Amino acid sequence: MNCELAHERIVTAAYGELPDEQVHELERHVRNCAECGTERGQLLALKVLAEANPVIEPDANLVARSRRRLEEALDALPPKRWYEWLSQRMVNNFAALQAAPIGACLLLIVGAGAGVLGGYEVTQSRAAHVAAQPEQPTARPKTGLQGAEIASISSIARVPNSEMVDVTYNQVVPQRLEGSLDDPDIRQLLLMASQNSEPTSVRGDSVGLLVAECRAGHSCQAAGIRDALMVLLRYDQDAGVRAKALEGLQPYVVEDVRVRDAVLEALMNDSDPKIRTSAITILEPVEADTSVRQVLHTVANSDENPHIRTVSRQVLSRVPQFQ
Amino acid sequence: MELIRQAQAGSRGAFDALVRQYEHQVLRLALHLTGSEHDAEDIYQEAFLKAFRYIGNFRFECSFYTWIYRIVTNLCLDQLRRKKTRREDRAVVLDNSGDEIDVLASVSDERSYSNPARELDRKVLGGLIQAALGKLTPRERMVFELKHYQGLRLRTIGEMLSTTEETAKNTLFRATKKLRTQLAELRS
Repeated sequence: MNCELAHERIVTAAYGELPDEQVHELERHVRNCAECGTERGQLLALKVLAEANPVIEPDANLVARSRRRLEEALDALPPKRWYEWLSQRMVNNFAALQAAPIGACLLLIVGAGAGVLGGYEVTQSRAAHVAAQPEQPTARPKTGLQGAEIASISSIARVPNSEMVDVTYNQVVPQRLEGSLDDPDIRQLLLMASQNSEPTSVRGDSVGLLVAECRAGHSCQAAGIRDALMVLLRYDQDAGVRAKALEGLQPYVVEDVRVRDAVLEALMNDSDPKIRTSAITILEPVEADTSVRQVLHTVANSDENPHIRTVSRQVLSRVPQFQ
Repeated sequence: MELIRQAQAGSRGAFDALVRQYEHQVLRLALHLTGSEHDAEDIYQEAFLKAFRYIGNFRFECSFYTWIYRIVTNLCLDQLRRKKTRREDRAVVLDNSGDEIDVLASVSDERSYSNPARELDRKVLGGLIQAALGKLTPRERMVFELKHYQGLRLRTIGEMLSTTEETAKNTLFRATKKLRTQLAELRS
């Protein structure tokens, strides 16, 4: 290692971002190089000095004043026009299509199929109804609205000079699909269910199945399952769902840095202590990552929850054994 | 996630809840970077107005925290750039009575880095550090701030500044080197 590289590594090491194997190499170099020893001393002095300019918590008056100003500014904003909403939705939908072309095509096909089938069913029932009652073509079907959920209204026509109205509507036809968990269609439906907010039990079931797939090592990346689990871990309001998502991500914490980031965020920010404790356990195999160790140190030193502090310390105390 | 989705659907209540969740971090960062309550207030206002306007574009590809911090860091960078073009070189801080004092003039040569707490008044030392930080480029200043004071990982800093972890690391290296040079010059 030359001194120039050592100087760079001294900085990353001082901020806890140098991998362990490089830390050992750096230590060996600094022991034998007076210049680099001085460099490190100066950097540590800078870190001490910089603390003389501490980060100050904003006082309550500033927070209140800023919030009031923001609320006034938000109130003064004109409401979004319908075409602004529409264009934004189109842009988002286009982005989503780009992100998941296979899923989007499937959804499109399923949607078009359901639409055609629904339209066909409605047309058939109307034709039969008209044939049975040719004298009263606009009579209200007695059982139509009690069947499948109405998806949309196609047209409304009022018979002139009467109280009669002819409404054409489409119904959503419930469908069933049975297949292997490796079937892309089944996976797509499970993903849709996991992202749906209602009902919770369906979401929980679908997440449970996706997690089992991930843990069994059945290609979680290709189908976007891993991404979906990371989103659930970060944002789902149900602690049970978040816990399941965390469990599903466990096999990938070593190989996938994005998964590691999501687990670290859960450890730092999740509101449920059980999930945070599980996150610590899951992170054990990747303690060579200094980022992980840094977070563990932070949690061990300053977390409000004494149990989490203790668990973090226990894990950190085992680090030398792993090395 | 539900709050974000509701805010994306136009719920003002959900957006207000998000503001309350992140406003302290936003103000803390802006206040420390600009050193001015007035500037921090402006950055807060502009950041959340931008977030309100563009929340529909948030696609859950990163955490919401990273997204909002990206907006704030960009605004702070603009503010630092504006300041840099009109700043005077003289390092000043305000004393208790509100008068400006020249901190560089008040540091004697014998003072050492090895024991700063005993030899320098903390306020004067803080002013020295601010002066040295002021000599960095806005980007170096931002990376040092996010790493040293906010404790963020280089990977996250790279994401926030729309660059790579490696670039963030190099910028941090340059920033620490410049700071050490600045502080060494102040001693001599």
